[in-house]
Amino acid sequence: MAIENSHVTADVVEVTEFPPLVERYAIRGVPKTVINDSVEFVGSASEAQFIGYLQRAVAPAPN
Amino acid sequence: MAFLSDDERNEIRKVFEQLRADVKLVYFTDRDSPVFIPGEECATCKDTRLLLEEVAALSDKLHLEIHEFAAGSELAREHGIERIPALVISSDSVKGKVRYFGMPSGYEFSVLLGSIIDASQGTAGLAEETIEALSGISADVHIQVFVTPT
Repeated sequence: MAIENSHVTADVVEVTEFPPLVERYAIRGVPKTVINDSVEFVGSASEAQFIGYLQRAVAPAPN
Repeated sequence: MAFLSDDERNEIRKVFEQLRADVKLVYFTDRDSPVFIPGEECATCKDTRLLLEEVAALSDKLHLEIHEFAAGSELAREHGIERIPALVISSDSVKGKVRYFGMPSGYEFSVLLGSIIDASQGTAGLAEETIEALSGISADVHIQVFVTPT
């Protein structure tokens, strides 16, 4: 997705090497995906589901 | 000691035949310091560097740049690097940013190889609908996938 869109930064993080992140993102299972620190899910997702998560992450916060 | 056996090298060379465009591997590592600072050490920086050197040697399309990480340096800011070991995988056809934090070992090693190939080919093999939906996203998106070595 980062290949296709200049707005996307995609990181893979070996979390055991960065213990503070385990706490910060409450990681109890992997793979855990966090988008814009606001939308998260554990495990895999289809492309369509993933796009849904992305759209949710960039949507303006409801009033 | 090498990380990759001769067999693995040969296998990876074969996989790298799929490479098209040149890929830049920008690696941020720790300063080679004789002074040990507790809490500041980077346990996997050296091994990651050695592994990347071995991988980069398997194709002349791969260009490994090694930088000592300095928090807040211009290069670290350009790539948004706040922790090490960190690797940025880039090519002319990668529009966003693809990064890897930590040592890519075990299953993650094949993820690394896949990312390098995708960056080189300029495609991650996403479905047409996905690419179309992606093109509608014009706000910054930061995706972090947390994994553990297996």
